[in-house]
Amino acid sequence: MSQRPEPVCKLSRYAIETHGLTKNFNSFTAVDHIDLAVRRGEIYGFLGPNGAGKSTTIRMLCTLLAPTSGSASVDGYDIGKQGNEVRKRIGLVSEKMIMYPRLTALENLMFFGRLYGIDRGALRKKSEELLEMVKLTPFKDKLVGGFSSGMRQRVNVIRAVLHDPDILFLDEPTTGLDPQSTRFVRDLVKELKQRGHTIVLTTHIMEEADELSDRVCIIDNGKIMAVDPPQALKEKYNTNSLLDVFLELTGRELRDSANERISMRAPMGRM
Amino acid sequence: MAETAMWDLALDIARRDLLDLWRSKMLLFFFILFPILLMSMFGSIYPPVPKSNANTGIIGTAFPNLPVSLVQMDDGKTANLIAAQFIQISQQQGLFTVSESASYQSARNQLVEGNLKGIIIIPQGFSDALTAGQPATVQITVDETNPTTASVVQSEISAVFNIIGSSMSAQNINNMDGGRVNPTFILQPISVTNIPLITGVSSSFQFLAPGFMALTVITGSLQGVATAISREKEQGTMDGLLVAPISHQSIILGKVAAQTVRGLIQGLLILGLSMVLFGVRIYGSPFIMLIVMVLGTASFVGVGIIMTAVAPDQETAQMMTIILQFPMMFISGILFPIDQLPGWMQYIGKGLPLYYAADALRKVIILNASLTAIMPDVLILIAYTFLTMTLAVPLFERAMRR
Repeated sequence: MSQRPEPVCKLSRYAIETHGLTKNFNSFTAVDHIDLAVRRGEIYGFLGPNGAGKSTTIRMLCTLLAPTSGSASVDGYDIGKQGNEVRKRIGLVSEKMIMYPRLTALENLMFFGRLYGIDRGALRKKSEELLEMVKLTPFKDKLVGGFSSGMRQRVNVIRAVLHDPDILFLDEPTTGLDPQSTRFVRDLVKELKQRGHTIVLTTHIMEEADELSDRVCIIDNGKIMAVDPPQALKEKYNTNSLLDVFLELTGRELRDSANERISMRAPMGRM
Repeated sequence: MAETAMWDLALDIARRDLLDLWRSKMLLFFFILFPILLMSMFGSIYPPVPKSNANTGIIGTAFPNLPVSLVQMDDGKTANLIAAQFIQISQQQGLFTVSESASYQSARNQLVEGNLKGIIIIPQGFSDALTAGQPATVQITVDETNPTTASVVQSEISAVFNIIGSSMSAQNINNMDGGRVNPTFILQPISVTNIPLITGVSSSFQFLAPGFMALTVITGSLQGVATAISREKEQGTMDGLLVAPISHQSIILGKVAAQTVRGLIQGLLILGLSMVLFGVRIYGSPFIMLIVMVLGTASFVGVGIIMTAVAPDQETAQMMTIILQFPMMFISGILFPIDQLPGWMQYIGKGLPLYYAADALRKVIILNASLTAIMPDVLILIAYTFLTMTLAVPLFERAMRR
């Protein structure tokens, strides 16, 4: 990477910055003028009820979805104009596993690693190292289709860090996992923070957000309701449970809504 | 971190797609079964037919051994002789299985019950007429509920009696003339001989096989690419490709390359089977044939990508491809020549790349056409490729970031 494009904002303290970032689906506003500032090296808990706009925001930051208006930079690079630079520096663990069931664990890692231009030798070494880290070495040559959800998610997470991204987006990484795997993945997230990755984590499990996040951002109806360290929020609302803070800010009613176009277009929770 | 070249990435993506097919044994089974089934089915419907030849008295038939019955109402010597000749020729050439009925009514009942396709009646006075030097008439009834077999039975019975009649005339002339004149000069002073364009057995299948190859290659790649992309979109792996620093072109190229290989495998299976099972021969260059098949695939994958871009899910994308490929089968000259269609339909047929791919393949396989001879087809296929790809790439980009 000799001719590296210049970041739009140099020496930013922030790994991610957004200004008035907005996404409309027809008349529905999924993300409504949000300003985010994610610090380097922190775990940023990104919380909100279903349909609050979490996944839509993450998809925009990952350049998978074009914003309707506003701007955003990831590691200093503009998501619209410098998409490729952004993509080199991010890793994504989305709600759906990014993994081919008919490839083995190692083949999956090799395939996705190649997309980042890592040469085969180094890639193999790195893949085996990561597989060892998530205790899957004995299963590296088995088809992922036969793995349990916990095993799959472990492969899915290390797939996202093969290229050592500065910033890692983890969209509900422990959903549907058993307690053992949940514990393992949470420890893995901590380990990745130790390794210097900035992590944006979405989750519906408040206890998880409380345990892992340096700061949490609670959004609802596409708008930011609060940003603070979990402890500060709990003190502010005079409670020792982040769940209470969350319900205080986002209300207790059920969030049932159905937008036909969006539920068809975005079956994977892009809202 | 070195940039991986677009082609390298495309190759990786293509290899993975093919590995996916290879690893799914069930999918692979049906992938191979499809051309086998298609070929065996159509190959049996349109079996090889020996060419009719008036000079040698060969009557080619696509419907061998049809059941007919002979009702002989005249027991004169000549009538018996002619009936015997009819049975002999019919059976020798495998045209009819001839039974004999005591009366027209009983034969007719048999026909109504569906046991017979035709009845031949040699009426009373048949022998007397011929002996007196008068022309005699054979009457026939055919099963008119099926127009195709009805016309076949009718024309084949006439052909057999023509052969019998000609040999009788020749004998009569010989008897009258004492062998001085060649009877053929009187009976058929001018004859027409066919210089065959190709040697060997001609069969409808020789016409059909290249068409089916083109059809399988094109519709296979159309459906394959649409399914592959929308499946990846739905299962989430497309995100893994899109979130990587690679160009969308390499994703498209990879998918197209994998589908082309799949199309070629199926196309070649069809060709191989039609050669082994149904005696289809390749008269032209296999290399030109491959070029046409690759171009045929390329010309239509863009349409597959456009469909994926438009369709919200895999099921809709599949439905759209089926809707496109089904009529294409009928109006692109695959099952029958396009000239049989009404004018406006011919225009639509000629607007689709399948017509040109099938046409070019047919010319190469049957007529040993050179690349120059099929250049118009080739150019149209190339133009189609560029046109559809130009539309498909930006649509794909937009759809993926929607």
